[in-house]
Amino acid sequence: MLGFLKGLSVTMGQLPKKKVTLQYPEVMPELPDRFRGVHRFIPDLCIVCNQCARICPTDCITLSGTRDENRKMHIDTFDINFEICILCDLCVEVCPTDAILMSDTFELAVESRDHLKLDMQWLTESEEEYEEKYPDRVPSLDAVLGEDGAEVTE
Amino acid sequence: MELNPRMQPRQIEFEGMTPEENAVLNRAGLLLGSLEQLKAWARSNSLWPMTFGLACCAIEMMGAGASHYDLDRFGIMFRASPRQSDVMIVAGTVTKKMAPLLRRLYDQMPDPKWVVAMGSCATAGGPYVKSYSVVKGVDEVVPVDIYIPGCPPSPPALIYGLNLLQKKIRRDAGRSVQGA
Repeated sequence: MLGFLKGLSVTMGQLPKKKVTLQYPEVMPELPDRFRGVHRFIPDLCIVCNQCARICPTDCITLSGTRDENRKMHIDTFDINFEICILCDLCVEVCPTDAILMSDTFELAVESRDHLKLDMQWLTESEEEYEEKYPDRVPSLDAVLGEDGAEVTE
Repeated sequence: MELNPRMQPRQIEFEGMTPEENAVLNRAGLLLGSLEQLKAWARSNSLWPMTFGLACCAIEMMGAGASHYDLDRFGIMFRASPRQSDVMIVAGTVTKKMAPLLRRLYDQMPDPKWVVAMGSCATAGGPYVKSYSVVKGVDEVVPVDIYIPGCPPSPPALIYGLNLLQKKIRRDAGRSVQGA
């Protein structure tokens, strides 16, 4: 009997305390700044150095680019096989121009594996969504674009 | 003149019926269709997943079941036996040694049953995609309804996937039940 009351006193002691449950589908959880969600990609910044594809532990990044008349590389295709991506952040760390970054989108469940093959268009839209959400985190394009907005040709 | 396919009533597959019987039952439409929808609404709001934790994804699955994210809010309660469960959340790396056991547990679950592949290992092999011993995606063993990418997916990502499964169950039974 004493043990029974002892146990109930623990239960009753919890009652007045603040509830810890996060109301996720109604209220979005607060994520830290460096949360690793799905990638976002800025094609204007990419210099096709292939470092992200080479460092990827699961080889899930495939990219291709062409050289224009000014001997400058431009990205043509950039695909992430998100089925096997482990969100390790290594591609973001090695990128010399910060063309590939992480967003905070985690709602990625799908009904077919085909929807997990992310192409450049998907990743660019991910970037646009992120910029809309955090206008203060929009990257500066001064590295590739001149002050008047025209491309720098050396 | 052909009707707009979106205007035609949706064909429902009734359980345990041949295609001919299904066609007859579908003509009864309104009554049996609403019954299917009601059943789907009840099922989607009392999903009982089997605890199938195989790797680190299981930790996130436990985290989703604990008080911070609390899967009980959605009627999702973990069961320790395949006989009592109707969802299998495959959380983790499925090795080739484990695959036959996974299939057996799936076969032991009563119909209707659904499978959620949680994490990149269960989806496609993940970081072990070049391994000799890992199944490249659990859909080689059992039919999968929802894939949740991530390594591992956080509890909110798992909750999103399970909510997607609830929507899928309601959608498969015809129009989704309003206010569910």
